[in-house]
Amino acid sequence: MTFGALGLVALGIYLGFLVVVSEVARRARLDQTPADHFLAARHLGTFVLLLTLYATAYSGNSLLGYPGEAYRRGFSWIMATGFMMSIVVVFHALVPRLRPIAIRERFVTPGDWIRHRFGGEAAEGMLRKVIGALMVLALANFLLAQLVAMGHVAREVTSGAIPFAAGVVGLAAVILFYETRGGMRAVAWTDAAQGILMLVGLAVLLGWLLADGGGFAATTLRIAEMRPDAVAVPDTVERTNWASTIVLLGLASVLYPQAIQRVFAARSAGSLRRALALMSFMPLTTTLVVTLIGLAAIPRFEALGVVEADTVMPRLLGALAEEGPGARAMAIAVFIGALAAIMSTADSVLLSLGSLIAVDLFDRPSGDPATTRFGKRAAAFVMAGAAVLALAPRLTLWRLIELKMELLIQCVPAFLLALHWRRLGAAGCLAGAVVGTAIAAAGTLFGMKRLGGVHVGVIGLAANLAVAVLWSWWRPPVQAGADASAR
Amino acid sequence: MRRLLLIGVAVLYVLSIPWYRTGGAEPELWLGLPDWVTVAIACYVGAAVLNAAAWLLTDIPGEDPE
Repeated sequence: MTFGALGLVALGIYLGFLVVVSEVARRARLDQTPADHFLAARHLGTFVLLLTLYATAYSGNSLLGYPGEAYRRGFSWIMATGFMMSIVVVFHALVPRLRPIAIRERFVTPGDWIRHRFGGEAAEGMLRKVIGALMVLALANFLLAQLVAMGHVAREVTSGAIPFAAGVVGLAAVILFYETRGGMRAVAWTDAAQGILMLVGLAVLLGWLLADGGGFAATTLRIAEMRPDAVAVPDTVERTNWASTIVLLGLASVLYPQAIQRVFAARSAGSLRRALALMSFMPLTTTLVVTLIGLAAIPRFEALGVVEADTVMPRLLGALAEEGPGARAMAIAVFIGALAAIMSTADSVLLSLGSLIAVDLFDRPSGDPATTRFGKRAAAFVMAGAAVLALAPRLTLWRLIELKMELLIQCVPAFLLALHWRRLGAAGCLAGAVVGTAIAAAGTLFGMKRLGGVHVGVIGLAANLAVAVLWSWWRPPVQAGADASAR
Repeated sequence: MRRLLLIGVAVLYVLSIPWYRTGGAEPELWLGLPDWVTVAIACYVGAAVLNAAAWLLTDIPGEDPE
């Protein structure tokens, strides 16, 4: 494929745009408090909120990992549309209860909820640190996946002029720069632009693929000839895995710290409600489209390796570029859209990482400007570590997502159960999180990803919930000094 | 009403997974896609509509005036 100088110029223009936005956002800040830097002073309206939620949820994983997984698994990957939508469904259990408390109590990080809900209990501090550590680990993993995806895209869009390693390091530096300068405003504004680019780009690519392949029916028949298993009705294990993945992604994704912080950052409850209503349709315009793109790659590229399959999207864009100058420009636009989506997720993750490490893990006061500076330095440190690991990717993007979700899902009792069950105590919640995480970690260490199609993280969550509930029944928490309305 | 919509979403989720078919069976083409895939997509479209309606009916206590 040959994107040549045009790819380099487009990349340069895009990165220049990001730098300008960060500077404008920096000038728009009201003060230097963590609430202003990490939550844009809680002023995000429906449109920006929708696009920032969208660009945050749909990332390098969606644009590179999901087509790769559709290529590997075949049509059963249609499950991805369901599990991405399940996130907006599960938000019903979180947002109506958490949002009013978050606004009243001026929460900045997810740990503020733990402090509020379990305040006065002896195990509260340890629970907050364990939950914070699980979230930081999950986010660091998430960041790693974005960096790997960024390296792939930068190399492809410049036809190798920017090597994988330089793409990872260079783009990580750009993200660090604009996130540090502009905070949540820069992140949300660039997310909005990146979200639009991504939507348009994917529509163009799918349209070309279907036109070139003779439509859905012709493409499906060709896939059926080459790989009958990709078209056949999934077996019981695959169907169980489908249900397990919906549970895993639906429950764990609502606990993305960056998603929770967007719930805190919304200008009003009405803005949030409208943004979430519109978000319900985004899996149909994005996940379904990238799944069909990955499937359309099956007849084009035979027998790609497991990790290599994550490059089907760049390969397809390369094929599109060979159709002529106009098609090449469109392919570059899609590439930049993909890069935009990846960078927008990485920047949101980085922003959340900074606040989580500073406030939840190191107990820095959430109203102090020094906390903002500490958070920025901590995020830079994690970014540097993730960039080093990203230089030698060993796992598929989808496996990285699963690992992250298996950790995050262990935080479910501390949020979803704690919001709905007054009797839940910090000690029970802590014991459950430790047991659930141990099961998920042991499964990963011993190479047991699933049991009969059920993710080991979901099995860990079942044990986690059982321990949390039984412990809280056996030894009810001493409710000293906490807000009864939250219990 | 909101609760009914959410129950509808849950039912569509159950129906989206092809429990009703024998594993490994060869599908027919519906709208150019394997039949069980077309059913799953239809379920997810329905779930999106019901879920969006449920969000618009969601009361968030202490809602601030806009």
